[in-house]
Amino acid sequence: MVVDEIFELVSYRIHPEPHIRLNQDVCQGCTHRACTFACPARCYTWSEERARVEFAYEACLECGTCLLLCDRGALDWHYPQGGYGVRFRVA
Amino acid sequence: MPLATQKPLANGGRAGDAVDRGATPHGGASVGGGSSAGGFDAIVVGAGPAGTSAALGLAQKGAKVLLLERGEYPGAKNMFGGMMAYCPAPEQLVPGFWERAPWERAVTKRVLSIAGRESSTSLVFQARSGSERSSVGAGSSSDRSLTGFTLFRPIFDRWYAEQAVAAGVTLLTSCRAEGLLMRDGAVRGVRIAGGGGTAGGDDVVEAPLVIACDGALSLLAQEAGLHGGFKPDQVALGVRALYLLTEEDINERFGLAGREGATNEFLGCTEGIRGGGFVYTQTETLSIGLVMHLDSLKQKAIPPYELMERFVASTPVAPLLRGARLVEYSAHLLPEAGVRMTPRLSAAGLLVAGDAAGFCYTNGLTQEGMNMAMTSGLLAAKVGAEALAQGDFTAPRLAGYAKEMKRSFVLRDLRTFRRAIDFLHHDRLFEDYPRVVSALMEDVYRSDGRPRTKIARMGLRAVRGVVPIRQLIADAIRVGRAYLW
Ligand SMILES: Cc1cc2nc3c(=O)[nH]c(=O)nc-3n(C[C@H](O)[C@H](O)[C@H](O)COP(=O)(O)OP(=O)(O)OC[C@H]3O[C@@H](n4cnc5c(N)ncnc54)[C@H](O)[C@@H]3O)c2cc1C
Ligand code: SF4
Ligand code: SF4
Repeated sequence: MVVDEIFELVSYRIHPEPHIRLNQDVCQGCTHRACTFACPARCYTWSEERARVEFAYEACLECGTCLLLCDRGALDWHYPQGGYGVRFRVA
Repeated sequence: MPLATQKPLANGGRAGDAVDRGATPHGGASVGGGSSAGGFDAIVVGAGPAGTSAALGLAQKGAKVLLLERGEYPGAKNMFGGMMAYCPAPEQLVPGFWERAPWERAVTKRVLSIAGRESSTSLVFQARSGSERSSVGAGSSSDRSLTGFTLFRPIFDRWYAEQAVAAGVTLLTSCRAEGLLMRDGAVRGVRIAGGGGTAGGDDVVEAPLVIACDGALSLLAQEAGLHGGFKPDQVALGVRALYLLTEEDINERFGLAGREGATNEFLGCTEGIRGGGFVYTQTETLSIGLVMHLDSLKQKAIPPYELMERFVASTPVAPLLRGARLVEYSAHLLPEAGVRMTPRLSAAGLLVAGDAAGFCYTNGLTQEGMNMAMTSGLLAAKVGAEALAQGDFTAPRLAGYAKEMKRSFVLRDLRTFRRAIDFLHHDRLFEDYPRVVSALMEDVYRSDGRPRTKIARMGLRAVRGVVPIRQLIADAIRVGRAYLW
């Protein structure tokens, strides 16, 4: 699947600090966990083992889907700092 | 490096220079050590088609303009289907625009396909054929009005911003606007990250006019209270995979000659999610993607990349991709709710243009956004230049922009197609009707030794059990009101 190869397919300049922060405590009461299936870069995953939503910012495509779908305010959402993050190009 | 010393960025320097000399990610965009920098008549946030058009328009009227872009270069963050439909705005800003812009193919063939489980049905529109139009880019505007141009945003947006720099605009890349600078209830500039680049923004750039062209999330207009944040039922997520092929293979598979291009929209390929699929031809690449309304995506809970996997493997798409190599994957939001999402378009010291104002739509047949972004950017520049000439940036003065927009094709088209846009928010269109059309067409073409019936009866058979007749009639009237009268 395309998302499995995301780091081969997409060029990033990854900032050491995440541009989105997730408050996992807030997620505990979430009934839909839309971020885990709607994020096109699969940045959010549900961990059965730890019984919580895990988030990794590196593959983020900066679309904003998670920001609009999260209705519990669990996200502190920013675009990456100028010059960082995804950079679309032509092959 | 204080902006004041970035002389080559302002008037003239070589365009490429200016783009490259934007603030580096390391240094952040420093505008004079924690204090404020001034001297600009206007700040435009976002070097997409809306922002660059606004900046160009203002610079041509002699204004000193700062254009901020968070990407390393304009276009680095931008993706679209896509085909830019013809519109006169960019020609007014860049002489010879349509001859000079770096487009990929001139679209002469538009296909609408309705995908069912066992089959798909297409409607093909073909503009006057091939060789006659080989100089399509240089044709007259009436010639071009049936055409659109496919292009790559990282190339196009960068080229377009270079035209703005050549016109005297100061472009600062790798610079993220953190928010607005407010004073006495008016927008008076933007906050940008300080030298360390920490979030929160400790530098400000002042100007009496700010034009927010920051795209579909529209965070600046939201901060100014012009809208309460776009909602999941007002926007869609677009995902796109880019495949590399040869020019010859593309021409052969789509029946094209030279630099002619084709677009193909698909309905019924989203497993009930409101939205659709698309295939667009570039010179030697294909853009293949899906657009999904966010509320519907949330409800159906199907990951976009899984849907994409099935779309590229589907009967109508797979043969187009034989031997092609996947080279990029991207995602972006797009406004989808037409006039229902139009925010207030101005406040004291602030104008909003492009996707940030929700000026992007599909009526199911065409997808438009770039032309609307450019046109709104141009009109924002017009009103902005008048405000500058009068030194009046009050809310009533800048409200003239909304009037200009109402007169333009942008808000008129959004109004004309408001019912079509509403209609595209009905789930039936994406699940039930594609099945009905496919079942009907399968009946039409099925030859199994049994006697055939006329189409109306086949139609009834196809509809039965999928859509109640009452519903069908109501929807037919809706379609009529949306598209026909
Ligand atoms: C999948 C898909 C398919 C599409 N297909 C078509 C099509 O076929 N035809 C068509 O005409 N349109 C199409 N569109 C719509 C079109 O792409 C948009 O309408 C158009 O790009 C809007 O231009 P804009 O300048 O308003 O916004 P954008 O192009 O989004 O530009 C906004 C710019 O602002 C920058 N920015 C944002 N925030 C900040 C900040 N805080 N500080 C500094 N910079 C910032 C961004 O990096 C970006 O460069 C499609 C869109 C998608 C997603
Ligand atoms: S949608 Fe929001 S609250 Fe729910 S799991 Fe995702 S981030 Fe947490
Ligand atoms: S912005 Fe888009 S790509 Fe990034 S984490 Fe959110 S949903 Fe995923």
